[in-house]
Amino acid sequence: MTQTMVINVNGQDQTIEAEPDSMLLYALRDNLGLHGPKFGCGLSQCGACTIIMNGVALHSCVTPLAAAQGQKITTLEGLSENGKPNPLQQAFIDEQAAQCGYCINGMIMTAQALIERKPHASRDDIKAALQGNLCRCGTHMRILRAVERVTTPQAQQGAGQ
Amino acid sequence: MSAARQIPSLARRGFLQATGGLVVSFALFGTSEAASSLLPIGHVQNPPDAAKLYAWLAVHPDNTATLYTGKVEVGTGAQTALAQIAAEELDFPVDRLDVVMGTTSQTVNQGPTYGSMTIRYAGPQIRAAAAAGRAALLEQAATHFATTADNINAKDGVFSVKNAAQKTITYGALVAGKQLDVTIGATGAGFAMKVAPQAKLKDPKNYTVVGRFVPRKDIPAKVTGAFTYVQDVKVPGMLHGRVVRPYGVNATLISVDESAVKSIPGFVQLVRRDNFLGVVCTSEWSAIKAAEALGAVLHPKGPAAYPAKWSDWNGLPAMDDIWNVVRAGAGKTTAVANTGSVDNAMGDAKRTLKATYQTPFQMHGSIGPSCAVADVSKDRAIFWSGTQMPHEDRHDIAKLLGMQPDQLEIRWFEASGAYGRNGLDHAVADAAIMSQAVGKPVRVQWMRWDEHGWEPKGPPIAQDLAAAIDDKGKVTAWTHHMWIPTFLDTTLVAAALIGHPNRVGSVGLGVPAITYAYDFDNADVTSHGDGRVALRTSWLRSPAQYETTFAMEAFIDEVAAATGEDPLAFRLNHLKDPRAIDVLQAAAKQYGWQPRAALGKAPADGKPAHGRGIAWANRDDSRVATIVDVIVDPASGRIRVTRVVVAQDCGLVINPDGIRNQVEGNVIQSISRTLHEEVMFDRANVTSRDWIGYPILRFDEVPDSIEVVIVNNDPKYPSYGAGEPSTCPTAAVISNAVFDATGARLRQLPFRPDRLKAALTQS
Ligand code: FES
Ligand code: FES
Repeated sequence: MTQTMVINVNGQDQTIEAEPDSMLLYALRDNLGLHGPKFGCGLSQCGACTIIMNGVALHSCVTPLAAAQGQKITTLEGLSENGKPNPLQQAFIDEQAAQCGYCINGMIMTAQALIERKPHASRDDIKAALQGNLCRCGTHMRILRAVERVTTPQAQQGAGQ
Repeated sequence: MSAARQIPSLARRGFLQATGGLVVSFALFGTSEAASSLLPIGHVQNPPDAAKLYAWLAVHPDNTATLYTGKVEVGTGAQTALAQIAAEELDFPVDRLDVVMGTTSQTVNQGPTYGSMTIRYAGPQIRAAAAAGRAALLEQAATHFATTADNINAKDGVFSVKNAAQKTITYGALVAGKQLDVTIGATGAGFAMKVAPQAKLKDPKNYTVVGRFVPRKDIPAKVTGAFTYVQDVKVPGMLHGRVVRPYGVNATLISVDESAVKSIPGFVQLVRRDNFLGVVCTSEWSAIKAAEALGAVLHPKGPAAYPAKWSDWNGLPAMDDIWNVVRAGAGKTTAVANTGSVDNAMGDAKRTLKATYQTPFQMHGSIGPSCAVADVSKDRAIFWSGTQMPHEDRHDIAKLLGMQPDQLEIRWFEASGAYGRNGLDHAVADAAIMSQAVGKPVRVQWMRWDEHGWEPKGPPIAQDLAAAIDDKGKVTAWTHHMWIPTFLDTTLVAAALIGHPNRVGSVGLGVPAITYAYDFDNADVTSHGDGRVALRTSWLRSPAQYETTFAMEAFIDEVAAATGEDPLAFRLNHLKDPRAIDVLQAAAKQYGWQPRAALGKAPADGKPAHGRGIAWANRDDSRVATIVDVIVDPASGRIRVTRVVVAQDCGLVINPDGIRNQVEGNVIQSISRTLHEEVMFDRANVTSRDWIGYPILRFDEVPDSIEVVIVNNDPKYPSYGAGEPSTCPTAAVISNAVFDATGARLRQLPFRPDRLKAALTQS
């Protein structure tokens, strides 16, 4: 049976009807229409479903909905400020850091949590943080450069031009 | 102009054609939402007539425009590049040009999106259509200003009368409210279609948009979560389906006990047809739980452990015997090169070298498992799909369902990158069967284990090579025989499961996937290929040519080492292809290549050893040369690629950053394939069912740098493909660098630590 639950997503309390043993990912995507987090594996192996809960990057595919009640959840959609990409999202645009883009939610959310914890993270820090995030298109070089645009802005370089 | 805008513009045309009959205008409607009523469900129509301008372009009163193409975006940036080509000929701002792709009712079939052929073949079609569109508009402008066309300038979507600064009008304003029915002409079909043969094309000297950096149209929506992937499509009344695949590849379903899932909240229906088993529920989570309860995950206890009981099928070959099976199965022989007499030269040789190269099944490994939504009713069916071939799928799925293609429509939405043909087309078939059974729209997404287990794989390949060297150290003979099972298997999993394996597509033959360009006096390059071996296959990025380039370019290195020559000089001495020479020299220059023979010495006292390697390929007329540095750690058996230099000649470049993005992606993906990837299977089925069982490269192994040099970017060349070529040299170049560093020669993919350690003890 479904149950009524309240979760706080991107600063707002949301009431949803869902199976209590269900995972947070499906509530975000199917009940709330937030498509930033993606289903990749459902096994905590790829990072496509990453969200930030109370400042920590988490795999929403294995986060029980019940455990998300009362917590502060941020999705990719919630990073944008007044409808504008936040600095990290803008850095991904500036570096043209996506191919299919299916992994990019996880890359940005994981890196965002890192930056909030460690604003001047080094390349090694970034790699270590993103180690659990898979990208099949091979966008890794651009993803690293995009994150570095925020962590070490003086070293930034432009895409393409 | 984000990709999210696709949906209103799709709707615009749906409305137009649904109400406007056959006279379709170049611009009938504004962009107001009033016109954007959604395509009515149940409304199916055929692709537009390629000979009409409206099939390709629409200009809207707000001076935006839409390009329609049967090609699709697969993450490579083709959408933006095709927009650049159209904007260039149309003299229209590229950021005001939206692109609608793939949807069968709204686009012309320009052939599937694969094989690095989009820019090469669809580019000229779109270029001609846009040029014809500009000419039609120019004529309108001349009438509007009561002058002649040659008295009018076109720039950035605005016409102006020469020497009359105040006389200007936007394209949008010019056509607002008018009906234009322009015939531009088209002959042929698919890749070979000729569009608007009379169109006068711009001189590439005057290009201002083609060849420039233009930001990709899809990226802003992809990084903010606004993008609609096929995985995100929601249709009113939609249910959720999951598949329960056979335990063994060809196992039969003996029985299924519905009571095991009936009590799951949200359960709607089991869908069983022969060996096809699926479960439909009201929510995704219920469907996942039900499929797992039925045994969708391979269980160590075997095929009878769950309520869905499968026969105990064990018909696959043993994994370590697979290359013998490949050789034994070969039937069709194709000579790629046959010059002189190899036998004589081998007989006269002072020295001969021989080697065997083996490569395993590999998978596409999309990060997002395949997904589709189907809405099938008795006399029409609509699908939402991320397929790379929507127009072909329309015909295939019609066959599967026993319907006519004109009763079907595929609405295309981008999916997770597929790099060939993964499970996307198969998911459409699964959704079709489930929707037909329940009479409601059904969304099916494969689970990770379904994707790993059932996506069609790149086939295993065996290759034997030999060379003869005479007493002066000259290479006198070269043989390369390859055994390549088919990678053209277009049969659908679901069709086989419902007992009609031959209803859709065909298994296909092996094809020689190699471009041999060396000039040895006596050469025998032969491919032996045939149909399916063990698992269903399909094209996987640079199909088979990644593997044949591995063998050819690593063995060239073996021969160069045997004659004590610098591997770059050896190649240059035996090649006449000027564009091959160009890329090799450009890569060498960027790298700072110093001539010397490969060192090939065992590392002293087990310390990490450094090496360099070079290789090149001609993939469908693009040339690419790669040089890498590696560090090999004999203790752990690990190989790290530290520096990569790629010189690529794909002719005239549309978007240089697009090329760089593709090269970086190809390089990283192919390093992953080279170091890690091998599909494991037992006698029943694939056992690599997740990212632990099929590891791919992670951030700790990313090279320090990938440098890309673009060569021969010149309008005297057409635009060739960039989506695949730089995958080809990677396995060879790493094998060559490992040899340089350690003297160990790796001839079997992947170069896992155990293989490297074994090779080190032999060297
Ligand atoms: S989908 Fe959650 S980690 Fe892969
Ligand atoms: S961009 Fe496609 S998976 Fe990362």
